[in-house]
Amino acid sequence: MSGVELKGVRKSYGALEVIRGVDLEIKPKEFVVFVGPSGCGKSTLLRIIAGLETISQGDVIIGDRVVNDVDPSKRGIAMVFQSYALYPHMTVRDNMGFALRFAGVPKSEIERQVREAARILELENLLDRRPKELSGGQRQRVAIGRAIVRHPEVFLFDEPLSNLDAELRVHMRIEIARLHKELQTTIIYVTHDQVEAMTLADKIVVLRDGVIEQVGTPLDLYDDPANQFVAGFIGSPKMNFLEGVVENGSLLLAHYDGQKIPLGPVSGKVPDGTRLVAGIRPEHFGPNGSARLAVTAEIVEHLGGETFVYAGNGGREILTVGMHDGRAFKPGDKFEAAFDPAKLMFFDSQGLRVS
Amino acid sequence: MTGVGFAKETGTLAAAGQYRRPARFQPLRFLKGVFVYGLLSLAAFVSIFPFYWMLVGTTNSAVDIVRGKANFGDHFWINVTNLFAQVDIPRVLFNSFFISILATVLTLVISSAAGYAFEVFRSRFRERIFAALLLMLSIPFAALMVPLFVMMAGVGLINTYTAVIAPAIANIFIIFYFRQATKAFPSELRDAARIDGLKEWQIFLRVYFPVMQSTYAAATIIVFMLNWNNYLWPLIVLQTNDMKTMVLVISSLASAYVPDYGVVMVATVITTLPTLVIFFILQRLFVQGMLGSVK
Repeated sequence: MSGVELKGVRKSYGALEVIRGVDLEIKPKEFVVFVGPSGCGKSTLLRIIAGLETISQGDVIIGDRVVNDVDPSKRGIAMVFQSYALYPHMTVRDNMGFALRFAGVPKSEIERQVREAARILELENLLDRRPKELSGGQRQRVAIGRAIVRHPEVFLFDEPLSNLDAELRVHMRIEIARLHKELQTTIIYVTHDQVEAMTLADKIVVLRDGVIEQVGTPLDLYDDPANQFVAGFIGSPKMNFLEGVVENGSLLLAHYDGQKIPLGPVSGKVPDGTRLVAGIRPEHFGPNGSARLAVTAEIVEHLGGETFVYAGNGGREILTVGMHDGRAFKPGDKFEAAFDPAKLMFFDSQGLRVS
Repeated sequence: MTGVGFAKETGTLAAAGQYRRPARFQPLRFLKGVFVYGLLSLAAFVSIFPFYWMLVGTTNSAVDIVRGKANFGDHFWINVTNLFAQVDIPRVLFNSFFISILATVLTLVISSAAGYAFEVFRSRFRERIFAALLLMLSIPFAALMVPLFVMMAGVGLINTYTAVIAPAIANIFIIFYFRQATKAFPSELRDAARIDGLKEWQIFLRVYFPVMQSTYAAATIIVFMLNWNNYLWPLIVLQTNDMKTMVLVISSLASAYVPDYGVVMVATVITTLPTLVIFFILQRLFVQGMLGSVK
């Protein structure tokens, strides 16, 4: 199996630069997920690796070949699209075998490969149907099957689950994870859903405005984000950010009626008067925390197993507090959100992590 | 109270199932119905009567037709025999079919490829060239006729099929139609085909063409009818009787010193049939094509 390497990759459309110098190494058999908000360039980067977009500068290396000018069909990749992109006039069998037929593979071999892929994806009974006769999940499986039969060095997935309903999305997520285990191929997967990223990836690449913000394992990114953007993007519900100014070794919060919180891990390292943003994840609130913040519940979401309370203190910041025993909470309740100061993360005015 | 009164008059509440209106005669509503149905009947009559008149005309003598006889007569076979005696119908039909079919096929190939290319390939000049093409739609054919004739005469194509077919095949409206339709063609299908190893022309033939079937069906009907009914240009460039098309024959029969309207009607029916047949064959696809072919 091949790895993928991007060296100083840039892509411009006229004066607009959408990929602004990306360096990345993806090891063979690795499952890498590109995440980022809409317009961050993650799909463009995937299309660059696929050869569907040319690059303005840099090198794309698949295996040990520079593939900048290599046709998409000869890069050893296969791609699964968000809209499935199945040929509507062909049966499932023909859709899956189309690339092989085109490459001049003998009919008997195509049939064998298609049957094998259909077995893996449990599509054997659907081979003679057309895409319009299939459900969303079945179509997505056919699209994956079409990729499998090409025996690619690298699988590229472009938001493959976005068109599916929530239940099917979870099911297909497990299928894709199982598939990666079975096929042992390099997979590059684009999504804007950070839950997909966290659950599937060996390595997550967080992108913003055409540059990589951070690369790391899901838990690295969760526990040790390099900046406020990554901290906010990884984790659901997202991390709370509390603006404040350092005063006498504490952070005086701007939107919580003059309340202060300890500086935790950066205690003694930041001079008074420094503007900081403190980050605390909703799930890090708990009854035993030594730091406390008095707030009033505004909206309460009971999810059964856990409860999320959206609370404030008159300011424009809303604090999301997760709790396991919050069934009694209702809007208007005043309470003290407790947390362990060691769990706090601090970011400077540029959004960079202070440690 | 005003609200209730209004509701009673228009039946709004009754329609919503909240108020059962007593059955009583409403003169205003009745008059409105009479007016609407009267207007619709008139429109239907205006549309259908010429067809009826054409069919009735095939069975009546010229004298009866001129007198305004509007029911079927017994002159049909005489009219048919006269038509075949006066005109070499098989030859004329061959000319019409040959020109129309060839022009339709070529128009669809050239214009759909152009429409596809205009939408798919990005270039700095794309929109300018396209705007220039659309601008050309505003030039009336009468203004192009003379230079076109001089050009055709210059290359010795007067009185040939090529002279009729060549100017027809790059149809700006059809290019425009295909460009619009191509906007609905999913770009991911094209990407998938590229990854599967297809070149652009193979994508066009093996993916675009089958996927856009209904667009092609609608365009086939439009282009075939345009060519089949084309009158002015063939009249100018087709000069001998053995090259004439059905539309030219109708025109010459109708403009004879003493036109035999029975014969003209038979020729008209023969001319109308092929477009009707094609329309009914492709009707389902035509409707889909006009609505947008890719779901």
